[in-house]
Amino acid sequence: MNLNWKESRAARKFFRSRSSILALLVISTYLAIAIVILVPEMYFDFRSWQDKDYTPPKNYGFINLEQTEGRVGTKNMPGFSLKPEPEKRLQHCEQLLEIVDRALKKPDAQTALAEIDFGTLKVADLPQPELKTLVDQGWKTFDTLATSANLNEAPEQLSKLAELEQIVNQLYPPPTGWKGVWRSFEMLLGTDRQGRSIMLRAIYSIKVAMQIGIVTALFAVLFGGFLGVAAGFFGGWVDHLVIWLYTTFSSIPNLVLLVLLAYMFTGTTWDGTLIPVYVAFGLTFWIGPCRVLRGETLKIKELEYVQAATAMGCGRVYIMLRHIIPNTAHLLLINFSLLFIGAIKSEVILSFLGLGVKRGPSWGIMISQSGSEVINSFFWQIGAATAFMFGLVLAFNIVSDALQDAFDPRHQ
Amino acid sequence: MWSYIIRRLIYYIPVYLGVILMVMAILRIQDPVAIHLGKNATPEKIAVTKKAFGLDKPFITQYATFLKKLVTFDFTEQSWDFPGVTVGSMIRRSIVPSLSITVPALILTTILSICVGMISAYFRGRTIDKTLVFFAVLGMCISVLVYIILGQYFGAYLIYKETGHELFAIQGYEPGLQYWAHYCLLPVMISVIVAMGYDTRFYRAVMVEETGRDYIKTARAKGVTKRKVMFVHMLKNAMIPIVTQVMITLPFLITGSIVLEMYFGIPGMGRALIMAVNAKDFPVIQAFTAVFAALFIVTIILTDVLYALVDPRIRLS
Repeated sequence: MNLNWKESRAARKFFRSRSSILALLVISTYLAIAIVILVPEMYFDFRSWQDKDYTPPKNYGFINLEQTEGRVGTKNMPGFSLKPEPEKRLQHCEQLLEIVDRALKKPDAQTALAEIDFGTLKVADLPQPELKTLVDQGWKTFDTLATSANLNEAPEQLSKLAELEQIVNQLYPPPTGWKGVWRSFEMLLGTDRQGRSIMLRAIYSIKVAMQIGIVTALFAVLFGGFLGVAAGFFGGWVDHLVIWLYTTFSSIPNLVLLVLLAYMFTGTTWDGTLIPVYVAFGLTFWIGPCRVLRGETLKIKELEYVQAATAMGCGRVYIMLRHIIPNTAHLLLINFSLLFIGAIKSEVILSFLGLGVKRGPSWGIMISQSGSEVINSFFWQIGAATAFMFGLVLAFNIVSDALQDAFDPRHQ
Repeated sequence: MWSYIIRRLIYYIPVYLGVILMVMAILRIQDPVAIHLGKNATPEKIAVTKKAFGLDKPFITQYATFLKKLVTFDFTEQSWDFPGVTVGSMIRRSIVPSLSITVPALILTTILSICVGMISAYFRGRTIDKTLVFFAVLGMCISVLVYIILGQYFGAYLIYKETGHELFAIQGYEPGLQYWAHYCLLPVMISVIVAMGYDTRFYRAVMVEETGRDYIKTARAKGVTKRKVMFVHMLKNAMIPIVTQVMITLPFLITGSIVLEMYFGIPGMGRALIMAVNAKDFPVIQAFTAVFAALFIVTIILTDVLYALVDPRIRLS
């Protein structure tokens, strides 16, 4: 097609508004992050298919699934290296002390100490007796603090707490150099209930959301769009069949259909993957584009240029491919961005109901997990997941609005 | 009129048959008995259970018997998860809690969003309008679950923790009108807030489109005040898309807000379905989805009819 799309009225109108360009930039940033996470993952997946004994290295790629599942600190640490209330600080110290203490008490203390895994944070490389004295010292300070009632008020208590934290810091020396930078990146948004890094999980979820959004929206738009155009253009029994099909699918409430389709996969080998989510969303979301495109095709079919093409002896399939589908492309684009938003939002609900993403993090999993954290006034996880999701959904909302405006023939 | 309704009813018969076919097929893609009994079940036990529930018969026979049960309103099949409880009693029990949330929520949402939409359209292009649209868009970008979690925390939990007085229940449900505000008001408010963003924008668009019409210009040229045009001329004509919008959301009254019900522990239809799915309670899932679809179709037909009544341009032929 010899069409300079940049010069078209719609494109000029779309790119005139600054917010839509900004939104496109945001979307491409998200997409870039998703690709950076996805490509190494796919590479190592491919390797392990070919060779069953092959296990990928521990820290491959930018962020991988294993990193998001591993503990990086004590539970519910706030982000931006903010200090929580003294009571919580004491709890963090207690947790860290206890882990070293337990390892030291094991018969094989050396390996037990080496097995303590906080991501980049490792137990200090000191001889065991020295560690032991540090731990004992820590417990002594801890005991005096734990028995005292007013932890918040007395300044000497606070200085004691700082002392305890220093001991813990000696036990776990903070990493320096690049590792230190990575460490502060991991801890930027704090940790969740299991001590996992919220930052890593939220970023990894970008990949999950992009995968779900792109796969399901693309499938729904192409499948629904094809059926809609075919129904509108050929009419007759094709039309009847397609109408029956989409009325049938839309006669089951959306969420109920999603739940049913997700139920279909419980216990199969696909249960842990994203395939149930793809199938559930794909089979639910195609109805919208199908309806819209059928209506549009019915309208376009009666226009003069299509009739002229028919009069010139063009074949029906040729007219459909050359004249009808290109003229409905903008609707496909608009529907794609609307369905993308729908997919991301529905993923949250499905994950909350325990039928969505099962392996690894996603924004839905993060939000539904944070329910119990919010009760304890810990807002970092819900905040991070919502903020990350908000950026993407807002960008898509702006883009779809701008697209609708740009392609609306009523506004010149 | 009656012929129109009857024609619609006949039109939806093959659709409903298709729905039942699809639901039954989806539920049988995997052996429901094997899933329910778990991995340790012996093949003999699976076979016996299958025979007891008629699942060993060919699909066509099962389809026919299930359709017969639906047509004769025979919901006496027993739940697998709660032996002795019939499916019909489960449906009857859970329909009122669902409606006690969704009906007030729908009414409130509609009234509030029409008001806000009209304010926004009246001050089109000005700061008030821009702020309202801005907040509507922001509100649309946040997940329902976030509203629910934060709503429960700030609306129920925090008040209870600070004052020691339980203004709204954190969770649970009790039948009876006197308990309604205690248990259902907070979920209703949350679902109103969730729906407001989208609805406000929709109603604003409807109103704005209506302001560009010729009859508005005529009325203004004749010297009718802006306010009178807005409330008398415009609102009447904007009623058609408004009614359609309300009608479209009607079917969701029955499914209830599944997430709200799950989170607040309200024993409604949606919650019952999800619990059944989690417990692999096959007869309940099957019957619930069939009933959902039937009610859904009834409301769609009602929508068609009412829509035709509201808009005289739609011919009933």
